[in-house]
Amino acid sequence: MTTSTNLPGHPQVPNLAEVPGSILGRDSAVTKVLLRRSAAARRARYSTVKIWVGAVCAGVVVIPVVLANVLPLPDPIVGRLSESSLPPFSAGHLLGTDPNGRDLLSRILHGGQTSLVIGFLAIFVSGLFGIVAGAAAGYFGGWVDTIISRLLEAQMALPLLLMLLLVVALFGPSIPVITLVIAFAQWPEPARITRALVLVEREKPYVAAARVLGLPKLSILSRHVVPNILQQVLVVVLLLLAQAVLLESALSFLGAGVQRPYPTWGGIISDGRELFVTGKPWLVTVPGVAIALLVVGVNLVGDGLRDRVRRAKGDQT
Amino acid sequence: MLTYVLKRVGQTVLTAFLAVATVFVLLRMAPGDPAANYAPPNPSSEQLEAIRQQFGLDQPIPVQFWTFLQHLFQGDVGTSFFFKRPALDVVLERLPYTITLAVAAIVVTSVVAIPLGVWMARRNNTAPELGANIGTIAGQSMPDFWIGFVLLILFAVNLHWFAPSGFDSATSIILPTLTIAILQIALISRLVRREMVVNLASPYLTVARSRGVSERALTWRYAFANAALPVVTALGTRFAAMLNGVVIVEVVFNWPGVGELVVNALKQRDFPLIQATVLVTVLLALAVQLLVDLLYPLMDPRVRLGEASS
Repeated sequence: MTTSTNLPGHPQVPNLAEVPGSILGRDSAVTKVLLRRSAAARRARYSTVKIWVGAVCAGVVVIPVVLANVLPLPDPIVGRLSESSLPPFSAGHLLGTDPNGRDLLSRILHGGQTSLVIGFLAIFVSGLFGIVAGAAAGYFGGWVDTIISRLLEAQMALPLLLMLLLVVALFGPSIPVITLVIAFAQWPEPARITRALVLVEREKPYVAAARVLGLPKLSILSRHVVPNILQQVLVVVLLLLAQAVLLESALSFLGAGVQRPYPTWGGIISDGRELFVTGKPWLVTVPGVAIALLVVGVNLVGDGLRDRVRRAKGDQT
Repeated sequence: MLTYVLKRVGQTVLTAFLAVATVFVLLRMAPGDPAANYAPPNPSSEQLEAIRQQFGLDQPIPVQFWTFLQHLFQGDVGTSFFFKRPALDVVLERLPYTITLAVAAIVVTSVVAIPLGVWMARRNNTAPELGANIGTIAGQSMPDFWIGFVLLILFAVNLHWFAPSGFDSATSIILPTLTIAILQIALISRLVRREMVVNLASPYLTVARSRGVSERALTWRYAFANAALPVVTALGTRFAAMLNGVVIVEVVFNWPGVGELVVNALKQRDFPLIQATVLVTVLLALAVQLLVDLLYPLMDPRVRLGEASS
């Protein structure tokens, strides 16, 4: 703190410790321990804890899932009936097998690929659509805002899960259909937040300045307003990934997911549901742990990042 | 006030109409012939045609919709294909089970989530709060059907405390309620915390504290009174959403509510039954929302005054 900076091309900055009356360089009543205990410092530390714990939780699931095709795993679809219903920690099957003799670990990891692909595609679509719609509604106001806001309200009143089940029944349970269905369920959230942020942002002086310079509305919105709010919105979109994975597993569980024999997380649990009563609880519990770990991880990272973005924006809550 | 209520009732009816219309059209566009589900095995095409005629499915969709509307205005939402009884009766038979479950879940949620959220706000940025914070994040990260199964494995299969499924006795409600409440507690307590943190840090609270108001009164009578409005709104929205059928939990526990009914009706392509369920549950959910909105002026004088001045 007390060193003088002497950058080339800049006038020399005086060493503040030597300036009369400066508190720098002197012992202060505010000790380092007190600073470390202050609410702001603790908040910063806790958001770091959340991000790290979250990253580890998500990493434990995501990394093996991404590497599933490379790892030496048994086939997830064709099993050996001689090895049916083995408990976890059996030789060659870390998490055991299902009644068809298929390796549970392999099924979970391959199923995770489907879930993650659907999840990422869904938040990409819903994020893009939500940001565009929300930014348009917030910036242009008027009839654009009326239409988009009414759409958002109308969707709240619909029995969503039933609608999603219907649409999947209608167009078939393929990855694009499930992706779009989830994106449809999720677009209101980024749209609402983008709209609220743009409403605040558009009143700021730099927007007025850009208008005075004669920039077209569309480029003010896309080149100046949206980049300023993007960070906050993207955290919300990241949190939607957690929701997307949960929704995909719920749809699979109700039979509206990617179809058998291809594994999905919800599907594996659904297949196991008749079996846990007969003493094979791991077929239900283990795949759920995978989902929960990933979703907890994503939620923690998102929550920690949100704390940070809020702090950077000066919001104290 | 009266114009406001009338306007809201009008909106409610319109929304319910749109929801039913959407479902009506989607159902008829979906593949799968309902007639095949209700015909004898290996039906001839004449038999199928007869069933379709009996159900009115041989007509074009707009004509079917017009007929449906005409009957609706006479208070008739159609006869269930599967139960061969008026669909409305079937739905109303199942509705009390869903309402019971939703009420139990929302009561448990309120009783746990509000004190938890207030505690988290008062202990903001301490290690115990970080623990509770991560705990609530975990609570909203588990798939609800999985929570249901884990509770079943634990309490029904291993400990034999409860019957595994269905509705046998008063204790059957405990596990489904718990399953729903875990997620809702996580969501609501975080909302309570967020609202309370803002209110606990506001200047009016410092003023009250300097006048010597006790911490308990500051928390509840001052801060919570102001935080209550968004919390009640959220509880109302959650409750309304549950009335639309706590579909997954009902399926897991074989709970005889409307959620389970509608999933089975979807499998059997029982169009009138699905339409009746959507109509009843959407209307009910919207009515709850309306009721919550009407509670605002009772809870918050500012809303009353705002209305008087406008």
